[in-house]
Amino acid sequence: MKVSPLHERWRRFKNVAALTLAGVCAVVVMAPVFIILAYLVANGIRSVNLEFLSSLPKPPGEVGGGMANAIVGSFYMVGLGLLISLPIGVGAGVYLAEFGNTRFGYAVRFMADVLNGVPSIVIGISVWALLVVPMRSFSALAGGVALSFIMIPMIARTTEEMVRAVPNSLRMASLSVGATYARTMWSVVLPAARGGIVTGVMLALARAFGEAAPLLFTALGNRFWNFYLDRPMANLPTQIYEYAKSPYQDWHRQAWAAALVLITIVLVLNVVARVSTRERFRALR
Amino acid sequence: MHRAGVMLILGAFIAVVVVAGCAPKKSPTTGTTATGKVQITGAGSTFVNPVMSRWSSEYEKLTGVQVNYQSIGSGGGIQQFKEGTIDFGATDVAVTAEEEKEFTRPFVQFPVVAGTVSIVYNLPEVTQNLQLTPEVLVDIFLGKVKKWNDPRLVALNPGVNLPNRDIVVVHRSDGSGTTYILTDYLSTVSPEWQQKVGRGKSVSWPVGVGGKGNEGVTGQVKQLPGAIGYVELNYAVQNNLTFAAIRNAAGKFVLPSKETGEEASRMAVDRLKQDIRSSAVNMPGENSYPITGFVYVLVDKQPRDAAKSAEIKKFFEWVLKDGQKMAAELDYVPLAEEVVQMSLQKLAEVP
Repeated sequence: MKVSPLHERWRRFKNVAALTLAGVCAVVVMAPVFIILAYLVANGIRSVNLEFLSSLPKPPGEVGGGMANAIVGSFYMVGLGLLISLPIGVGAGVYLAEFGNTRFGYAVRFMADVLNGVPSIVIGISVWALLVVPMRSFSALAGGVALSFIMIPMIARTTEEMVRAVPNSLRMASLSVGATYARTMWSVVLPAARGGIVTGVMLALARAFGEAAPLLFTALGNRFWNFYLDRPMANLPTQIYEYAKSPYQDWHRQAWAAALVLITIVLVLNVVARVSTRERFRALR
Repeated sequence: MHRAGVMLILGAFIAVVVVAGCAPKKSPTTGTTATGKVQITGAGSTFVNPVMSRWSSEYEKLTGVQVNYQSIGSGGGIQQFKEGTIDFGATDVAVTAEEEKEFTRPFVQFPVVAGTVSIVYNLPEVTQNLQLTPEVLVDIFLGKVKKWNDPRLVALNPGVNLPNRDIVVVHRSDGSGTTYILTDYLSTVSPEWQQKVGRGKSVSWPVGVGGKGNEGVTGQVKQLPGAIGYVELNYAVQNNLTFAAIRNAAGKFVLPSKETGEEASRMAVDRLKQDIRSSAVNMPGENSYPITGFVYVLVDKQPRDAAKSAEIKKFFEWVLKDGQKMAAELDYVPLAEEVVQMSLQKLAEVP
């Protein structure tokens, strides 16, 4: 069939238009990240100094002070969450990959996905009822548990995907030389899947760092240093919220600085996750 | 090798937690930390947060006792105190007799500081403090007075060139002790308001736009020429908002300040002695600002931890005696001496 020049021009036009539109969309996807980063750096960089990183908050009316306890508190509770969610998440992931093709396996998978979609404020309130009320105290422990609820499904599902991706021939080879199933899992399958699991864990950590809602009613916040599991603990996201809504200029300045510190931590974790994935693919090639 | 770096980060996390977990446990009777410091947890009223932080900081320098106060809102403070998850609660509205029935433990409540609610407005043409009567204020919030050059406003403010602008009412969209104090006042001075709207932490406003928190109302008023709203005095001062003088029960126009608020709190003493929950709005006295309210603290009468309770008691004794002048520096209203004495009596019931 012969194509008329007019028709061809119309086709070209459609091609160019669609390409431009897709290109614009692609730029729009990136734009928020750059806008957020530029805005945070512009507002926060001057306030990120040694005092901010190393001292405790000052009461309003006194200029200065920092968020050292909130930075450490965030690491502490995310670490605690990791300590809980890593064994559970990896264990569940292995189970789902190896024995998960049962009705129970589907149920677990479905529940993990549901948990992943539960709004984080709901997790916060649940842990409040589950731990804070019986313990009669807001605590770092409750904060860590709330964060682990966010990380467990992420780690479990990534681990499952990664363990599934390990070629069956590796399992066969290991079993055929007389290794037990447990030994095969531990020494062959998990190490092969490690890169991917680490990526999943890093992304889970990045998400946990940024969550304020699960900590509002579990960790509560603290003006002072605290390293006890059974006491309220400061953390960056709730501190940012607290400072941003205050009437004090100096607190607004510090909220920007804290936001910049927080996004730096999240970015570093994301980049580490990407780099470790690339490493893995290179090894496979 | 990047994987080593990843493992290092993971290892660091775990190390932090393990080290922290192995730190010496506090002894259950004294509640002291590794550094030997007692830590008390309180939560509630956002309004009292700045001065509470100041008290906490000064008190720690003096005694080493750490009072960790978190502003989660007055309602949250009452709720968490009722659940027993905090050592003391703070609220802008006293716990009512009805609410008190739901408590499973005996407790005391008493004022620790007071505050004035200022009527703020944004009129670029006017730099003076406007004068308002309770009647006009009610009619503005009811939507009956619609223009800034309304004859009644002009009559009240001779010599002020009031512009022909629409009045935009800005109110709180969230539950708030500030709203309670204002609506308590409006209900006290106007049967019509009492009947149509009433008092409460959140009410259905006849007119206007909402803003979340004192900062939300502050922001709206700042941005909208013609706006009128209400915020705690320290927000008005911190944000350079102009506020109005209100005619009090004695017929004088007074501005919100620590002196006029203190006068109102002094006038409220007799009522407080009858019932600690009494409000301090529309008090007599030539110099008393009519929209004034107390911040109450809730403390256990039968504490689980006797040593900690003794520390809580000492802290509030210090707040009531030495803490009041710090409150004044932050645009709060220090309690009148008579109210301080009454609060100390209440506090004495705590073991």
